[in-house]
Amino acid sequence: MTDSYLYPIVALLPLTACILVFQVNPYHALVIRGILGAVAALVYAVLGAADVALTEALVGTMLAITLYAVAVRSSLVMRLGVLESASATSLDVSQSAQPQLEQWLDNLRTLLIKHHLRLELVNYPDRQRLHQALKDQDVHAICTPLEAESLENQAIAADSPIYCTTIRIPRLYDILQSELSSSHLTPSARLAQFEEVSL
Amino acid sequence: MINTLSYVCFGIGLIFWFWGTWPLLGDRSVLYKLHSLSVADTLGSISIVVGLLLKIPREWPLLLLALISLAIWNTVLGYVLAYCSSREDTYD
Amino acid sequence: MNVILIAMILALLIPIYEACQDEDIWQKMLAFASVATKTSMMILVVSVLRDDWMIGVVGVIILSVGNAALMLLAHILKRLNQL
Repeated sequence: MTDSYLYPIVALLPLTACILVFQVNPYHALVIRGILGAVAALVYAVLGAADVALTEALVGTMLAITLYAVAVRSSLVMRLGVLESASATSLDVSQSAQPQLEQWLDNLRTLLIKHHLRLELVNYPDRQRLHQALKDQDVHAICTPLEAESLENQAIAADSPIYCTTIRIPRLYDILQSELSSSHLTPSARLAQFEEVSL
Repeated sequence: MINTLSYVCFGIGLIFWFWGTWPLLGDRSVLYKLHSLSVADTLGSISIVVGLLLKIPREWPLLLLALISLAIWNTVLGYVLAYCSSREDTYD
Repeated sequence: MNVILIAMILALLIPIYEACQDEDIWQKMLAFASVATKTSMMILVVSVLRDDWMIGVVGVIILSVGNAALMLLAHILKRLNQL
């Protein structure tokens, strides 16, 4: 059993395991997990455990990776509730509001991609249902246009935010707050934390 | 005689492997790497299996199965990977 | 035969290094494809070397299953980038 090629083959297993541990992006880690599974199957087969190698290839490489890819894809997401017609409630800003929302959403996407998150938009017909969805924990955050009177109060500066994004999850709020304060892009929307009292 | 022939097959397979895997390290596009990798990997693996077949002809059903699955799967895999990765490129 | 297996291990190290160093996900998938083929070929060589029929069968099954896993993962990643 003590062949000279045995040691380098077995040494491949901790090597790939270390590479897997040091991955940051979850999807890259999944691919490296596939490589680890292939190497592990090789090691088991070389050591004489054919059944273990087969199980590793079938379950560890195929099933686990597919299930994990689906799980990571559905969990690393920020669900943002928006009004179905964001311009309908505000009166005369309908021309300028929509591009500003689009720009804000684009900024948000680029910020979230840095943290390997996706942005998923959920449409709601009116403001009341939007807030109810946030309370019911259906969405992680909502993006609402500011009320008309508060819009009047701020002297209409060109880059003053007319959208308010309310975030339910404290960690997400911290991440976005620090990213927004450090980056140079003008925030076209205000960030607010959702204070939950009823539980 | 047969033995040296099988070693020649192993040698050709290993040369193909190194030749196909080396472009992976460069900064070329995914499709270029995929082309060299799928061609050289499949040919090298087939050559190694033929070498094994010459060495131990007793296990021919197994090695024939390996040969067939290698040829079919690697071609299909090449197409699937190229399709998936190029669709992403056009989307960006 | 031992020399051949050592050379195969060296060939296996190239895609592993590539997967470790490259940032693009598709390059990593290519490295994964290369590793999957190479490991199953090594299992086949070892099975013939030891004259062990059982390991050989496992090697052939891994050869086909590893590629199937790769295609599944590639399709999931493609769907991921489209959304």
